[in-house]
Amino acid sequence: MKKVLVVGASLLIMAAFFGMIALNLTFGSPKTTDMDDYFLRNGQELTGSNNECTAVVFDFRGFDTLGESTVLFCAIVGVGLMFRKMQGGEEYEDE
Amino acid sequence: MRMSKIVRTAADILYPAILIFGLYIVAHGHLTPGGGFQGGAVIATGGALVIVAYNYKEVTGWLKKNVLTGQEVSGLVGFIGVGLLALAFGQVFFFNYLVGSGSIFGMPVPYGINPGELNTAGIVPLMNFAVGIEVWGGLTVVILYMLSGLEKEGC
Amino acid sequence: MIEQIPQILVLLGLIVSAVLTFHFKDLLAATLAAGLFSFLISLEFYILQAPDVAISQAAIGAGLTTAIFIIAIRATKRFEGEGS
Repeated sequence: MKKVLVVGASLLIMAAFFGMIALNLTFGSPKTTDMDDYFLRNGQELTGSNNECTAVVFDFRGFDTLGESTVLFCAIVGVGLMFRKMQGGEEYEDE
Repeated sequence: MRMSKIVRTAADILYPAILIFGLYIVAHGHLTPGGGFQGGAVIATGGALVIVAYNYKEVTGWLKKNVLTGQEVSGLVGFIGVGLLALAFGQVFFFNYLVGSGSIFGMPVPYGINPGELNTAGIVPLMNFAVGIEVWGGLTVVILYMLSGLEKEGC
Repeated sequence: MIEQIPQILVLLGLIVSAVLTFHFKDLLAATLAAGLFSFLISLEFYILQAPDVAISQAAIGAGLTTAIFIIAIRATKRFEGEGS
């Protein structure tokens, strides 16, 4: 009985929290749109790419993509090091 | 442990199709939704299908760890190299020096709503290819490393 | 209202597949339910007009994560609580 009460109360609090956020959000109309408008108006001319997402990711925000690639590289180097250690050394062939 | 003949045959047939679809997503990254990361992840899914269907010894005949790691490294180096090449043109790092120049990927841009031309967008397709090759090698070699932990049990 | 029906169906499917992931004692079935969850989330991204995110979610969430879990289940026991 007590468990049900606790679960119900926590669910109610969570529903109130997310409901309040969802009701106060105005979807699709942010307050300041200067930078978005600049990208949408001039992106095709400046980068020559029809896909605006790729234009932003690879051209306007190129350093972001550089960091993402570096993070992926470091993660895979870490996975490689982890499995190299698990093999015990002598019978791990470098193929 | 290898899976049944149905799974293996389906993996054999589906792998080239997935490869071509991923390369299409990479190559058309500046025209249609997608890009380097998404296309590389799609190709890595095809590699994962082959890896799950066969056992370790048969897979390492196809997918070599050296090749995949080399792809990963060369993708990252190529990505930085394309950015650094802007310094040779007297511009800043990551400047789009190829757009509208008339050389490779440098066709004048059709402005407004248009079906798209593959030969546009300057360095964006080159960077797409670099990131696609990197993600292809990287995500495939992660699953290959996972499988190499099972090698002793004959899986 | 009529255009929100697929969205509601996808959200209901998300809840069902998330509950199924916890309910199954067979870990392979639970992994497939998690893959179904990722696939439905990618469908939801597509409905919300983000096809870039939908492609990467379908490839990584539904493809690679499921493959990694299947390889991990190959190395260990298939049923929960077995052998302990």
